Amino acid sequence: MRAPNEIDFWRGFALVTIFINHIPGLYFERFTFRNVSLSDSAELFVFLAGVALRKLVEGPVAGLKPGAIVFRLEGRALNVYVAQTVITEVAIALLAAASLLLDAPFMIDWHNASAVFNQPVEAHIGLVLLTHQLGYFNILPLYVVLMFVAPLIALTHRYAPAALAPASFAIYAFALISGINFPTWPVEGTWFFNPLSWQFIYCLGFILGGADGLGGFARRHRQSLRRLAIPIVAAGAVLALMNFSPSPISVPQPKLLFMFDKTFLSPARLVHSLALTALFAGAFATIERWSPAGGKFLSLLGRNSLNVFCAASLLSLICQIVRFVYGGHVATDALIVILGLTVMGLVAWASEWRARLPADRPARAR
Amino acid sequence: MGFGMARKTTGGSARAGALAALVCLAPLAHAQDAPSSVAPLAGSGASAPTAMVAPPLSASCDVPASDLAGPIALPNFTAALQKRETVTILAIGSSSTAGTGSSNTAKTYPSQLEAILEKTLKGEDVIIINRGLPGEVAQSTAERIKSEVALKKPDLVLWQTGTNDALARVPASDFAATVRSTVQWLKDNQTDVALVGLQYAPRLARDSNYAEIRDALKRVAAEENVLYVSRYDAMRFIAQTRANLHLMAQDGFHLNDLGYQCMAEHVAHALIVSLFMKKVRPAAN
Repeated sequence: MRAPNEIDFWRGFALVTIFINHIPGLYFERFTFRNVSLSDSAELFVFLAGVALRKLVEGPVAGLKPGAIVFRLEGRALNVYVAQTVITEVAIALLAAASLLLDAPFMIDWHNASAVFNQPVEAHIGLVLLTHQLGYFNILPLYVVLMFVAPLIALTHRYAPAALAPASFAIYAFALISGINFPTWPVEGTWFFNPLSWQFIYCLGFILGGADGLGGFARRHRQSLRRLAIPIVAAGAVLALMNFSPSPISVPQPKLLFMFDKTFLSPARLVHSLALTALFAGAFATIERWSPAGGKFLSLLGRNSLNVFCAASLLSLICQIVRFVYGGHVATDALIVILGLTVMGLVAWASEWRARLPADRPARAR
Repeated sequence: MGFGMARKTTGGSARAGALAALVCLAPLAHAQDAPSSVAPLAGSGASAPTAMVAPPLSASCDVPASDLAGPIALPNFTAALQKRETVTILAIGSSSTAGTGSSNTAKTYPSQLEAILEKTLKGEDVIIINRGLPGEVAQSTAERIKSEVALKKPDLVLWQTGTNDALARVPASDFAATVRSTVQWLKDNQTDVALVGLQYAPRLARDSNYAEIRDALKRVAAEENVLYVSRYDAMRFIAQTRANLHLMAQDGFHLNDLGYQCMAEHVAHALIVSLFMKKVRPAAN
């Protein structure tokens, strides 16, 4: 297993934050950074996914032919797709089981699950097409779309690197200006994370994750960027604490450009998230010195992010059901967080232990 | 506008559905054949006595006014009605807005409400955008409200909320803070809002968290001086006085077609009474 590193650490950090943020009403939610920030862990998670793609493209798949790259990356996309459909189905079963065991029919209603029971014909098609998404189970569909287009990003980077940023920005700007988003069905609405918008931060992660081009520029000017980031992060904290967001009436068209919109990743959120990245990039070394165990633990989670994410998503739903039954108190909420972190750690440890097993086999045979 | 963005309940089959809903509302429609169809706020009028203009409730859904809502001025919605022939309402919330338990989309409360409002406010084209997401808590809806208001620029937001926060055991103070800040944001943005409260379900009547959230919503509405439709009191009144009427679906939690009809009538009644308050402040913009 690779040693604790910056990307895995922040991925682990994002995973823990997402787990806590996905239990509405949890006491400890108030300590997550979104309370003092315009952006939240979703931006961080997607940005880091882009960085991870860059590492993959420059590492294990660097020498592959285009066809093989497509094959390899689409395989990863398929993995994420399978994970999404499986955890969604398990979530539906959890809600159904809770509704039976607790004699609480409204449980099947939670997180937009009711269409599965009331419109099963349409909803099952929607589940497979990812047009029916449960609340809080809506970031992996974005991730699936990003993974499916990852070969396009990788090949554009290989053959026309200068075109990647402008093309990605053009799609982002188009979505902001037009307001176009992917539809949901059978519950009519739109995706919570608009892939047309969020692909931009993914591509930025990919671009800034490299040592050349914009990534090289960012590395060379790390100190200046950090100084630039401080006022942006501070302003974001003030705005978040004031609960300020721009008036949709008074801002000019196209309004999404000036709002703090999460679905369309409005520029304010994007810039703030990039500023946070600039401010904390390189901080891992200090954090690791200050808390080696913390650095190690979050890196362990981050190394196994898909498995941990899936477990955390289901766990947060279980915790919501527990809170429904037993109510929400600071002490039980603390227990939930400790239990959650333990299970996430166990899942990550088990994933790595399983991965090590085949390597041990010949040794045992001797 | 994005593909598949707006669930516009006007036009095509939805229009037919709305007509069907009107047929369902026979007592209401019949009552409106009398002079009660209202010309929307002709000129600077808006001074008609409330009792004459409020759409009468059907026999099944009738409840005392005290159990429904106190009139609160809707300055921006009123101004929109005066200025334009088309008004847009954003109906947002959870399953009661999405229509879980109804037999089809024409029977959801926003669709039925649209029909009632168009019938009452003669000559107005009322577009209600349905953005109900079953099982959603207020904090998530609050995020969606901001996007939807920016994109659709509704003249009025109907926010049905509270039930899922109570079931998720969100502390009443957190829930109140979320609703309050969103209501203030809507007010700052010259968008009127009506809060539509939690439903009455016998099973939840003794749930203390449910009562806390219900009271918190009512309190925020009073403090912020926004319209609050007390669905709980209205439904409880019907349950207690007309035991043979079933407003709930078989699960004992969601509404059925009649339940949604009553919900639409109650919201319509609260809106119309508020629209025709004697003193309507001019819109801030």
